[in-house]
Amino acid sequence: MGQEAQPAPEKLNGLHPKKIEEIMISMNQPEVLKEVSGPWKSRIVWQDGFRVKAYMRNHAVEMDEPGALDASDKAASAHEQLLSAVGSCLAVGFVLNATRRGIRIHDMEIALEAHFDNILKWAGQCDTGNPGYRGITAKLFVKADADEATLRELWKLAYEGSPVTQSVVRGTPVTAEFGAL
Amino acid sequence: MTQQQLFPVTVVGSWPRPPYLIQALRRRQAGEITFEEFQKVADQAVLEALRLQEEAGVDIVTDGEQRRDNFYSFVVEKLGGMKLMKVSQLMDYMKDRARYEEVLRALDVPAFAIKSPIVVERLTEKNGLALDEMDFLKKNTKRQIKIPLPGPYMLTRAAYFEGLSDKAYATPEELAADVIKILRKEILALKARGVDFIQLDEPTLSQIIYGAESTETFMCAALPNRRDPMEELSLAVKWMNETVAGIDGVRFGVHVCRGNWSRREEVLLKGNYGPMLPHLMEMNIDQLVLEFATPRAGELEVFKEYRNEKEIGFGVVNPRTDAIETPEEIVARVRKLAAFYDPEKIFLNPDCGFGTFAERNVNTAEVATQKMRSIAKAATQLRADFKNTRSESAHSN
Repeated sequence: MGQEAQPAPEKLNGLHPKKIEEIMISMNQPEVLKEVSGPWKSRIVWQDGFRVKAYMRNHAVEMDEPGALDASDKAASAHEQLLSAVGSCLAVGFVLNATRRGIRIHDMEIALEAHFDNILKWAGQCDTGNPGYRGITAKLFVKADADEATLRELWKLAYEGSPVTQSVVRGTPVTAEFGAL
Repeated sequence: MTQQQLFPVTVVGSWPRPPYLIQALRRRQAGEITFEEFQKVADQAVLEALRLQEEAGVDIVTDGEQRRDNFYSFVVEKLGGMKLMKVSQLMDYMKDRARYEEVLRALDVPAFAIKSPIVVERLTEKNGLALDEMDFLKKNTKRQIKIPLPGPYMLTRAAYFEGLSDKAYATPEELAADVIKILRKEILALKARGVDFIQLDEPTLSQIIYGAESTETFMCAALPNRRDPMEELSLAVKWMNETVAGIDGVRFGVHVCRGNWSRREEVLLKGNYGPMLPHLMEMNIDQLVLEFATPRAGELEVFKEYRNEKEIGFGVVNPRTDAIETPEEIVARVRKLAAFYDPEKIFLNPDCGFGTFAERNVNTAEVATQKMRSIAKAATQLRADFKNTRSESAHSN
């Protein structure tokens, strides 16, 4: 005789599973898809030195550079925040997929690391080469109510479905326009 | 103190936790079950760990620390004024997060995996730290009993966090006074219950000597400022001696290893015991419970200068490896030590526990049992060899 299926909890991992499912399905509707697809925006306002403030909807985040660059180091740098953006998006994807499967997460962290390929290009000391990261490592640590195989599967789904990660991985073109005053 | 046969076999403390116990621990930490409900589950796990130790031939048993989240954070259930906090929660209070990040990277652990009992108010006592463990063991085994407790230096340093603890205690030294009072009361209560061996765990001493690059470590959520290692060791000696002063009739040991949080040997600390031996020898305890089954432990010869001053709890198997050391390998290791150390002062144990941190067992119960069985077989061989040697020596005299 089979066991009775447990009813889905009202709240799981800080989310409402039923609502999440409804939201995901609603994205098939053209008008919803159009809205969630973009445009997504950020406005960077220079403050002083290497410090800027980024405004995204009603949120604001400062960015700066490390003190060794003659900067005020009042906030994390853009290149560190890029790693954080990748990691955060992966985390969101992991939580989404875990919640959709009814898997409770107790703790989760993602540790990211990257090296510049040729930072001399940024410093104006070299004309060629890639000043960007040569590769990014993202390591997941998770404690959840699922076996390792399932958790690895969720991690794969998070990676493959992450808008930020895939923007980086697929080399999204950046069009640099100039607005004259 | 209890009379011993030659080469008594013991464990350092922890035993691997079964999955059902880890589940119960998570539920307890989430507040979903009561302390009493958790204890019922832990009782079963202790009985299993006890049975395996006894079957393997262990002479001095522990309860496998089955009731503990880890070897020192468990005190948060036993004392008022403390809160179990993950390092991920402490990060907002840290002065130098960047430095701590380096430690986490080097250790390859997530911040949420490291929990520390942090003092947030003046400490108050409840029903003892490990009296429940002792009472349960007494009812369920006829073997000698060892109770591991966090050492005074370990507990003080781990629990004091600037920004949180200074509201209750102005300085770590002020906290240490209360910690020592509590430990002394605990020791006397355990002695009254007939404990044979109390082991005070001070693995942080390794971090002081060998972990020169970090001010903060997994073992303590915060070592606030970089202090002189020798000053810190002197403090550890002072606090240890204040803890055990005037208490006799029970065997005291101090356990110092180089870390047991990972199976990756390259992230653990290394270096011989030489730099800390002068200080360890000043501790008024009977036995040094040390690790020697890994090349990271360095040379045995550092003990020649201090031969026979104290008993040695000789680490003869690595708790983190899958390969089972053979009795012959263990006998060979012991013979090297016994070449210059009185055999009557040598106890045999693994380098460390098999599950120092509840959610990171470093081995399975099966492998742990086989390793302990190997030690017990080696002990039997050594007893026969050394008994024969003594008989021959007696006859020739």
